[in-house]
Amino acid sequence: MKQRLHTWRYLSTAFLLAVLGIAILVQIVRIQNSPEVASVIDQGNYVWKDYYPPRGEIYDRHGSLLAGNKTVYEIGLDLTVNPDMPTVMLALQMSGLDLDEVNYRISLAPVNAQYIILDDFVSTDKAKQLMTLQEAAYGDPTGKNLDAIYFKAHYARSYPENDLASNVLGFVTEDNHGYLGIEEKYDNILAGIPVRMLVPADPRRATEYPTIPPGQTIILTIDREIQAAIEKILDQALVSTNASSGTIVVMDPRSGEILAMSSTPRLNLNDYQKITTVFPGETPFNRAISQAYEPGSVSKILTMAGALDSGAVKPDTVFFDEGYILVGGFRIVNWDGGAWGYQDMTGCLANSLNVCLAWVSSKMESESFYSYMQRFGLGHATGIDLAQETSGRLKIPGDGDWRPVELGTNAFGQGVSVTPIQMVVAASALANDGKMVYPHVLYAQIQDGKQSNTRTQIVGTPISANTAHTISEMLANALETESSAALVPGYRIAGKTGTAQIPLAGGGYDENDINASFIGWGPVNDPRFIVYVWLEKPQSNRAASVVAAPIFKQVVEKLVVLMDVPPDAVRLQMIGR
Amino acid sequence: MNNVTQIVQKVRQAPWRVQRQWIGLFLVALVLMAMVAGLYLNVTVGATLAGRETISLQATITTNQRVNADSETQLAGLTSVEAMQQRAETMGFQPASPDDITYVAVAGYVPQSAVDRSTPGTNAPAVPIILPEYTESWFDYFMNQQASSASAGGQP
Repeated sequence: MKQRLHTWRYLSTAFLLAVLGIAILVQIVRIQNSPEVASVIDQGNYVWKDYYPPRGEIYDRHGSLLAGNKTVYEIGLDLTVNPDMPTVMLALQMSGLDLDEVNYRISLAPVNAQYIILDDFVSTDKAKQLMTLQEAAYGDPTGKNLDAIYFKAHYARSYPENDLASNVLGFVTEDNHGYLGIEEKYDNILAGIPVRMLVPADPRRATEYPTIPPGQTIILTIDREIQAAIEKILDQALVSTNASSGTIVVMDPRSGEILAMSSTPRLNLNDYQKITTVFPGETPFNRAISQAYEPGSVSKILTMAGALDSGAVKPDTVFFDEGYILVGGFRIVNWDGGAWGYQDMTGCLANSLNVCLAWVSSKMESESFYSYMQRFGLGHATGIDLAQETSGRLKIPGDGDWRPVELGTNAFGQGVSVTPIQMVVAASALANDGKMVYPHVLYAQIQDGKQSNTRTQIVGTPISANTAHTISEMLANALETESSAALVPGYRIAGKTGTAQIPLAGGGYDENDINASFIGWGPVNDPRFIVYVWLEKPQSNRAASVVAAPIFKQVVEKLVVLMDVPPDAVRLQMIGR
Repeated sequence: MNNVTQIVQKVRQAPWRVQRQWIGLFLVALVLMAMVAGLYLNVTVGATLAGRETISLQATITTNQRVNADSETQLAGLTSVEAMQQRAETMGFQPASPDDITYVAVAGYVPQSAVDRSTPGTNAPAVPIILPEYTESWFDYFMNQQASSASAGGQP
């Protein structure tokens, strides 16, 4: 009897404990699979998620932001909650949204749409205003609330300097694509690609969420202080000369770094939609790289450099200028139609004698002359890292439209077309011991916190260092001889003017308008900058020595201050210590 | 001897003892299962909470990044060339010309160079390192200890 009692007690206890244990297990399993928990963790569900990585920023060489990002909002409406449309429209109007745009978007929505985008790229101020209204109307008992409005923040491009360096930067449209300039050239590394993808809703799988890398930040060779200075000088020059357009390029001839580049017109990049108004018709966005023109006498420096390097002439070679020369059966005359008598080669450059230079190129003969012009890069794009560069045209013997007279006219910059950047790169050989550098605007790019700088590339050595020094001396002497308006007190500068006739589409040259240019570099014995100035169709005067040379001087006066270039005497004194 | 054998047989063969043994075993198994299930639930809850926090932090990071971008752009606008020039002019400054500048040789002066925006300490990888204590097995631990002690011992 006692044993049975024991057995019953044990069995009862065991049964109770077993029930309790099983109940605990069941409860644990039930909790994990309950709808409540499933709703919290969204087990097994996937949701669409939008990722808007920021576009890489663009800085100038000293770290000033030229292109950044700002927050804007996409404003949408959830139609499944039956929103009170008059209230919604009133709130949108009160927040300053464009109701025409909103109505247009609503009209495009399909009949069974559950969600429509009312507006996008709405400024933070307007969105915050709408959020405040939404908050105030929350839980309105009459149902006139704004709960159906949704805000989705994302990035938009912003240019804090507005139109500064706009010709170099380009712009980004609302679809996050870069157009023109740096924004187009480096679009693939700047753009963080927005991604919309399915991700697990289960928070336990949060580690599976993708990491969308932001766009790479880049640093430009541009110095914004120099850029601002040359833009101001250029704007003033257009007013004072009444030129139709202007271009100024500043490059470091030793490295190929573009320190500043500007052409007119310029665009406020925050208002890029006005591009068709600012750049009507075929107007190039950046004339420095996209507009080829006949450079005229500035290209005489290349002819003379080639002639000196080939041994066809020496600096003291004397030429008797009769006022004309026949080349290919055509008569070539000087810019003033005069005869200048005996001239050495420095005199030919100082007086910019077409006849002399045509004689020089004839002495070189076509094979040698065109070989040098090609080595200087004429007729080929420089490869500068900006979108939409054109290559100009250098006709050479063998081309269908080349004529023998062009050996003479090409020597002084007629019948050949170049872009300003081509001339700058070609002249960099003269300023940089005969070495021609690759021009670039990208100073560095930053990836994973590491900065990789662009290296200097020598793209050719068209002339020897000795020739480069000789031609620089000749040009410096020429400027000093003619008391050029380009001279900057205290600094020895080498340079050359260019007054070029403008070819007409139907043949011949424009009798009324000219292109005025100046190319120069300095200090001559340690060049830190090379400057190219081009004014298209100036009306105040028809001589580049009068309209372009003073602008060059103004630019150099700014450069020596902003680049800390002491006067030659001081610099040589410092070196001597 | 027979008595001892009989007592052992009685104890072993007592039904309530056998039942108690089975019940005990069953309960031990049940407790073990409950412990495993409880542990699993605890880990699940922990992972869910951590996941929620991760998502929340990611959202915070995204918001902060946007705020930073906004602030940086606003600051750049406030310090733009045009704004700074206007402020300088208001304060009575004017642009320097070459004649205004006196150059003085200063030993050791390094001219201004282009900016370096490398993040300090960029030798560290972009992703955080998970310490080996959290990933290696006991076997790995002992092998590593052995290898490190062997290499330490090998030093002259």
